[in-house]
Amino acid sequence: MSVTSGTGPSALFDEARSLRGPRAISWGLLAAALLLSMIGVAVIHSASAELAADYLPRQLVWIGLGLAALGFGAVLDYHYLLRLATPLYVLGLVAVALVLVFGHEAGGARSWIGIAGLGGQPSDLAKLGTAVFLARYFGGVRQEYLGIRHLATGLLVVGAPMALIVVQPDLGGAVMFAPLLATMGLLSGVRLRLIAAAAAIAVVVGLGVWHFGMRDYQQDRILSFAFPELDPLGAGYQIRQSKIAVGSGGLLGKGYLQGTQSQLRFLPARHTDFVFAVLAEEWGFLGVVVVLLLYLLFLGNGVRIAAGARDRPGVLLASGLLAALCAHVLYNTAMVIGLVPVTGIPIPFLSYGGSFALFSFFTAGILLGIDARRYVNRP
Amino acid sequence: MIADRDQPAGEYLDLMVTRLWRLALAAAIGFGVVASGYWYAQVLRAPLYRQQSENNRLREAPLKAPRGLIEDRYGRLLVENIPAYNLLFDRSQSRDRTSSLAFASSNLGADPGLLEQRVAAARGQASFVPVLLSENLDLSQVARFEVAALEHPEFQVEVRHRRLYRHGLQTAHLLGYLGEVTASELARSALGAGDLVGKKGVEQTYDEELRGRDGRRVLVVDSRGRTIEEHRRDPARPGERLRLTIDLDLQQEAQLLFGDQVGALVALDPRDGAIRAMVSAPSFDPNLFARRLDPEVWRELASSKFHVLQNRTVQNAFPPGSVFKIVVTAGGLADGTIDPQRRVFCSGSAKFYNQTRRCWKAGGHGWVDLHEAIKYSCDVYFYWKGQEMGIDALARWARRFGFGATTGVDLEGERSGLVPDPEWSRRVRGTPWYPGETLSVAIGQGALLVTPMQVSVAMAAVANGGRLVVPHLVDGGGRSARTIGVDPQILGFLRGALSDVVDGGSGARAAVPGVAVAGKTGTAQVVKQRIRTRSETLPYEQRDHAWFASFAPAEAPELVVVVFVEHGGMGSQAAAPIAKGLYERYFRDRPKRAL
Repeated sequence: MSVTSGTGPSALFDEARSLRGPRAISWGLLAAALLLSMIGVAVIHSASAELAADYLPRQLVWIGLGLAALGFGAVLDYHYLLRLATPLYVLGLVAVALVLVFGHEAGGARSWIGIAGLGGQPSDLAKLGTAVFLARYFGGVRQEYLGIRHLATGLLVVGAPMALIVVQPDLGGAVMFAPLLATMGLLSGVRLRLIAAAAAIAVVVGLGVWHFGMRDYQQDRILSFAFPELDPLGAGYQIRQSKIAVGSGGLLGKGYLQGTQSQLRFLPARHTDFVFAVLAEEWGFLGVVVVLLLYLLFLGNGVRIAAGARDRPGVLLASGLLAALCAHVLYNTAMVIGLVPVTGIPIPFLSYGGSFALFSFFTAGILLGIDARRYVNRP
Repeated sequence: MIADRDQPAGEYLDLMVTRLWRLALAAAIGFGVVASGYWYAQVLRAPLYRQQSENNRLREAPLKAPRGLIEDRYGRLLVENIPAYNLLFDRSQSRDRTSSLAFASSNLGADPGLLEQRVAAARGQASFVPVLLSENLDLSQVARFEVAALEHPEFQVEVRHRRLYRHGLQTAHLLGYLGEVTASELARSALGAGDLVGKKGVEQTYDEELRGRDGRRVLVVDSRGRTIEEHRRDPARPGERLRLTIDLDLQQEAQLLFGDQVGALVALDPRDGAIRAMVSAPSFDPNLFARRLDPEVWRELASSKFHVLQNRTVQNAFPPGSVFKIVVTAGGLADGTIDPQRRVFCSGSAKFYNQTRRCWKAGGHGWVDLHEAIKYSCDVYFYWKGQEMGIDALARWARRFGFGATTGVDLEGERSGLVPDPEWSRRVRGTPWYPGETLSVAIGQGALLVTPMQVSVAMAAVANGGRLVVPHLVDGGGRSARTIGVDPQILGFLRGALSDVVDGGSGARAAVPGVAVAGKTGTAQVVKQRIRTRSETLPYEQRDHAWFASFAPAEAPELVVVVFVEHGGMGSQAAAPIAKGLYERYFRDRPKRAL
């Protein structure tokens, strides 16, 4: 410990952790997840007050299931998961492929599969499978930097489910696979010149496709995705209402159950993807900051866990899953105020139910499990 | 570190951790960006969004105030409001405009092109502002749209009040009608575009009282425009019920008496100026204006050679003819210019300024004094007296009796007529005053122009002892009569003479058994006739205008009746009988009313 060559904060955390004792689990992460869930229940209740059904009881059921998933993830040795990486990955791929064949449309995309009466999105299962598979694959690379071959394989591993999800079409669901590859790739090491080359190729290919491979209407669709103001009745309407909801909330908010934007149904998808707008409207900037701080608490603890994982796949798995959750949080909150295009990306622990809630809880469980197993082999 | 971690070689864990913290830093920056985005939206731009959210949920809907009803002096309804169903088209709700309009036109039996036009006319307006597609649907049409309400949510049937003028053309000029507010009216009032305002008549004069004040409902609506609750309600203040001085019986009688003749009639109470009947003929049906006017009908009304829409009692001025002799008499006696006993010889004509002036009676009246000159309406007598008085005195007295100025009646567009004098001649015509013109004015001809309303006020002054009343259709408002400054004795003499006009004089056809009617006939030449010709033989446009100005009972006047028949010929023949008919009706009903 005293001879540490560890850089920066990681060394500090190692120090701090050792003081706390090995058997402590990350209470901060657990507490953040639970608090966020409780806030989510309250906001969903408010958001669905004017709907035919109150989503509060159902969300409690989801949280119950989520806690079970969390416990399972924590108890389960992640090495066991890593051993099952290939079947898990294939299972995810098959599930996404099945949606293409059997799935029913929801919100214009065939991405929902009915599971026991509760909607489920196979892309979340695929995301988990891909994360585990990639963690095992990159974890096995014992080099300072990844080779081109590794990167190409990684691209293929992530590209396969992404492609299947894009054609559903669920662009948002597909985009959220990117953080897995980016995070795990960067942690495993990618040479700068490879990144530069990849960026250059991406730009050239992108421009080429735009100019020669796309028809006008396809270009229009991409443009209206990137600039929703161009489509004031579709995505533009949603983002406008959402911005009004957030902005009118002001510093302190309109008060619980007093959000006119949501109570009067101006805000679409307000208990799922836009639940954060309801929170912002009713609790104001203050509520937003509190919730963002809770996410930082969760993610910060997660990063500490990842940094302390005992082996390469552990670091990668924890980091990849964290990156996925972090991307969801950042994209969703940015989307709600129109910083990024609107697409179906829920926010962890706050959005109503579904497979993504289970994914989030299970991820939290795995993180807790990795944390608990960091010194198992320690003499 | 490596030993510390108990890790196999080549894991590069510390390197990964270093990279991990770099990524965490990037994520933290991402959180910073998002937080500043919320700071910008929720703190810096909060007022803007707060206002937008208010607009989002509050919608205003007007509460139309029912327009005040109008009744006659005895409380009989002249105008009422009946429901009218209008079809509104909400373009924002229509999936396919062509099929929507096709549906509407088949239901209405209307030309789809016309509906297209109405929609096209509203192109500049927001799409959620409904377009008025059709007015006054009948109940079966309303039912057809109501039944299809689910398939065609773009159509709404709106219930409005429509004016029903119960007596149609009998009260047309009196009551006026409603029309859409014009741009200039909008500029000087708190009206909204598309509001209906009174045009002409009482509807126009008392528009504000009748209109009341529209209220409004502020509704909380959701994003689909559905009402969640009423946020606030400012009730409408209904328009005032307006009681006119008009006697419906007299009004109807007068209209009937006119038949198909062209002209005007004013009947008023000389004691206070309350108008009992007011007719301008020909008339029109004001109910035509209550619905969207067929352009064809409008053209016909507006271009009619009889100027149907003009209210001849106040908007047209004519030479008064011999009716003006009343003014000459009063003025001459008051000034002392006329000696009532001195006789003048009428041979049927007289020579003035080397020009022969004829009396209406070719054979002449012989020696006549003032009384007889009035009774038989001798022109020669008044030529002499007019010459003696001079144009300035004539004009002065004409103005004293209210000519040359509006009467102040509560109707818009009243004309002041014209009292000519040398000053006017220089200023307006640019020619000097010719002495011969004074003679013409003395018998109510020449450039002198008066409205029937002015004549009735002048007549009322004779009847009431010299007060110039302000004629009115609605009582109240502190109208003060000014005096004409004529000795009551003179007016008493005039009343006696005017009684004799009807009692065996030129106005004999106005005599009513049992009632002393006093009056004066008048015949105003339209074109100068070299030889006396009977009017009936002339083309219509060249026939004389007939006047009869009167009051009754002569000893205690209650009713002034002034009749003007355009191109009617002689006053004694065309105008007097109409007045007689009205007096008969008045005095027949009077005992009943007194009870």
